[in-house]
Amino acid sequence: MSSTVTTQASKSPPRPQAPVGPRLIRWGVTLIILIPFIWGALGLEISPGRIARAPELVWNIVSAMFPPDWSILGRSMDKMLESLYIAWVATIIGAMFSFVFGFLAATNMAPRWIATPIRALLSAIRAFPELVLAIMLIPAFGLGAFTGTLALGLHSIGTLGKLTSEVIEGIDEGPLEAMKSAGGTKLSTIRFGVLPQAMPNILAYWLYRFEINVRASAVLGIIGAGGIGADLFSFLKFRDFPQAGMTLLVVMVTVLLIDGVSGAVRRRIISGEPGKGPVSKLMGLVRTPRPAPQQ
Amino acid sequence: MIEFDRATVIYPGGLKALKDISLTIEDGEFVVVVGLSGAGKSTMLRVINGLVPLAEGSVKVNGQEVRGAAAGDLRDIRSDIGMIFQTFNLVNRSTVINNVLAGRLSMVPRWRSTIGLWPKADVEVALQSLERVGIVDKAYERASNLSGGQQQRVGIARALAQEPELILADEPVASLDPVTSHMVMRDLQRINRELGITTLINLHFLDLARAYGQRLIGLRDGELVFDGDIADVDEDVFRGIYGRAITPEDLLDAAGT
Amino acid sequence: MTGPAEITTFEITPSERPAPPPRSGPFFVVVLLIGLGFGVGGIISGGAGVVWGLTGGVLAATALRWRGQSSHPVDALAVVFASALGLGWSGWALGERGSSVEGTTALLAAVGWLLPGAAIGFVVWRHSRRLRLASVLVSAVGWALAAFFVFLWAEGLGAVESLSRTAVQAGEIVELTGTFYATTGFFIALIGAGVTFALLVGSPALVAVAGSITFTLFAASQIGFSLIKVTSEIDKLNILAQEFWPPEWTWPNLTGQPAENQILEPMVETMQIAVVGATVGCLIALPLAFLASKMTTFNLPTFWGSRFFMNVIRAIPDLFYAMIFVSAVGFGSPFAGALAMIMFSLGIMAKLLSETVDGIEPGPLEASRATGARHSQVVQYSAMPQVLPNYVAYALYIFELNIRASVVIGIVGAGGIGRLLDEQRVFFQWDRVMAIVIVIWVSVILIEAVSVTVRRRLV
Ligand SMILES: Nc1ncnc2c1ncn2[C@@H]1O[C@H](COP(=O)(O)OP(=O)(O)OP(=O)(O)O)[C@@H](O)[C@H]1O
Ligand SMILES: [Mg+2]
Repeated sequence: MSSTVTTQASKSPPRPQAPVGPRLIRWGVTLIILIPFIWGALGLEISPGRIARAPELVWNIVSAMFPPDWSILGRSMDKMLESLYIAWVATIIGAMFSFVFGFLAATNMAPRWIATPIRALLSAIRAFPELVLAIMLIPAFGLGAFTGTLALGLHSIGTLGKLTSEVIEGIDEGPLEAMKSAGGTKLSTIRFGVLPQAMPNILAYWLYRFEINVRASAVLGIIGAGGIGADLFSFLKFRDFPQAGMTLLVVMVTVLLIDGVSGAVRRRIISGEPGKGPVSKLMGLVRTPRPAPQQ
Repeated sequence: MIEFDRATVIYPGGLKALKDISLTIEDGEFVVVVGLSGAGKSTMLRVINGLVPLAEGSVKVNGQEVRGAAAGDLRDIRSDIGMIFQTFNLVNRSTVINNVLAGRLSMVPRWRSTIGLWPKADVEVALQSLERVGIVDKAYERASNLSGGQQQRVGIARALAQEPELILADEPVASLDPVTSHMVMRDLQRINRELGITTLINLHFLDLARAYGQRLIGLRDGELVFDGDIADVDEDVFRGIYGRAITPEDLLDAAGT
Repeated sequence: MTGPAEITTFEITPSERPAPPPRSGPFFVVVLLIGLGFGVGGIISGGAGVVWGLTGGVLAATALRWRGQSSHPVDALAVVFASALGLGWSGWALGERGSSVEGTTALLAAVGWLLPGAAIGFVVWRHSRRLRLASVLVSAVGWALAAFFVFLWAEGLGAVESLSRTAVQAGEIVELTGTFYATTGFFIALIGAGVTFALLVGSPALVAVAGSITFTLFAASQIGFSLIKVTSEIDKLNILAQEFWPPEWTWPNLTGQPAENQILEPMVETMQIAVVGATVGCLIALPLAFLASKMTTFNLPTFWGSRFFMNVIRAIPDLFYAMIFVSAVGFGSPFAGALAMIMFSLGIMAKLLSETVDGIEPGPLEASRATGARHSQVVQYSAMPQVLPNYVAYALYIFELNIRASVVIGIVGAGGIGRLLDEQRVFFQWDRVMAIVIVIWVSVILIEAVSVTVRRRLV
């Protein structure tokens, strides 16, 4: 091979030096990841011994949980339903208010002096974890599902508001300009120019938020803000593992189901055609054909 | 040497894409495969390196049976066969040299490729391959920053980096303009002549086949309808392959203008 | 090519045009008008059933006629008559109630709304003949359900308590206007008519909207939530202000030493938990994500297995992990928190990344497979570079999420600042809680700002 290479060398351009930049970046990134990790691991007193023992300890708990105590299935499902209601209502609250805020926070819809403070407000809300919000609302609204719903709803406004405004900012401006130049009003541009483009994504985000809220509302009970979390908390505290297992199972199955259905619907909304997953197939079976047009 | 013996391919939908193909390709040949779209050209190339499984018959590369080869044997067979694609199939975000080094993956110890510690010799082979196609100066650029013709040369260099005994090129110039097409074809021809690498090329344009090929294989609906010297191709043969007379669309230079 | 003569003989008849798809605009208008009709009926009658039904029915029938949904005087008569009859019944049922509406009373009253519902459904059906009688029945039931939910909802509204039947009988109708009967009628008609039209138009979007509204009201009534309650209790925010402000930054610890700031140290611990959780979780997620994508998996069993595993991991909320690990490795241990955050990060990253891998270009994979590379090499050299920027961006995003999540896991004893929050919360030390919350809030905002900036530059 070498002889042919030398004949080629005359024709071929000179070889470049391997640049050092990428290599430096690679080392830099490694360090940026490694140093905080080591700092964290040392701070948490994570030793190889503890790591080695952890699987066994966790396994002990898990094997104590299963088989679960089926006798409390009814109760768990009731509590899970309460969590679901909380999640649903919170999502609706979030959707309703974030829709308005989303438009106000989008720089291509609202003037800067409105958009900027609204944005700041949304990120301020978002920065409170749901549970912290709930803790702060308890002195005013008392323990119970009402407070939990309010906290989840507020947090949803924050996250959905941001996502909505991003979707709106990401739309194609071409059709809007066409409408404006055709003399459309602001409202009609929104109705016919913005909504058709943005709505599928916004809807998908609402569903996605619902999936997240289901998980969050399952947790709220820990601080007494309604739902199934209180059950799991007390079962684990009093080491009633089979009952805790049942509670956990109900949550897992519910979340899996909701994720499946909601995910299929989201894909359907975004792509406009049914997906290929099992849930989509089921939906296809259930969906009745459109009535024949009137003669 | 490649030996097809009554090779038949049936795709999952039940479609017979290759029917009873038997032929032999000797070492160092420069073979062009032509046929209508859907005739089975790509399929024919892909059974050689086992990307498409055979339903019946056999394909042997240097005496080794491809059909039913164990995973390890199949990798060995593939490591001696370079493949060039119509759409280049480069990793756009990686550098050119990394794309070329992918051709040597089967030859380095696994731990070395895992941590990206390539032996000097392999990097040298990669650079030489780039020199052979004349774009070594782009070695450390991102593949996506190159023009189409340059990208296809990276594809060729990746095949060369395997130090292959055989190169399969599936419509290597179909995404390129006429001038670049000729340059890439000349590259392939030169490689075949200088290094003696057996070369199989799928082509769409008949004038390209005439200009660069020696032996021509014509496929129609998965059947072998012509196999012979390119000089023997006349209007009748063409009719046999395409089912009609030659039109300007079948010629690169006519279609390009 | 056909000759021009043929084209001229080609006749365009209206019947050959496709029927326009159902439009939702007019339907919404009618729904709103019907709602207004029954709302106005409620105001005028002050809840006296027959009068309510008569006025509401007349207005609804007018609305239907105006938008071309009913074409015959018989239709109008049917709507008015059914409304008067049904609401007469409803009013009678409500008259039996005590000071507030209970479930059984509400159900009885709701049945009365079946009649106007059925009548409106019948009229619309007669006009468009889109669906069979079954859907008319379904929409009638929809009306009754709507009424039931609204009455239940009214319980949360607190409006019913303030309006007793005696007030109506004493002629204090003016006081009632604009409150309970107006809103009730309006909402029932809105939901009921929404359901009716959605079913008759047969548009999935409309059915989804009507269904969502109905379910929302039901869910809200089940958990005793209503926006009215929020607004009526908004003044309770004063309590918040009094309790939470000013924050108390320092307090003595349990051994009675002088006051010092105890917040920062646990906050650092929280960050450590988040860092360790994100790093380890994202690393483990890498192989899992490639196994859980059809693009890069070994075979179907591996694919389905790892997908199921991934979904199950994601199905357990972060705090549940924390609780389980706390039970396993001991209360107050940040190690338990780190384990919980690992599972949390793992679930999210595997999901996000595997979806990204689903979308990569298959060409480069095939190319390196054709060179005889091993599966792991194919993945590393052809798939990894394609998703690397996304991976880094997701990792930063997950770190942000981790900060927010690890703040609270201390509440169940998994270490970090949440432990402090819980300690002060159970003793109602809201001013200290405020100080802790401010620290959390500022940290989250800062980290999000940094992370967003980096992510912007990456992708
Ligand atoms: N993965 C596949 N699954 C099912 N059928 C396939 C598959 N790949 C190719 N086919 C079918 O097999 C037949 C031959 O395909 P092949 O790709 O070999 O044709 P070709 O001659 O390369 O055509 P072209 O010039 O368009 O590339 C076609 O009818 C094609 O539709
Ligand atoms: Mg092809």
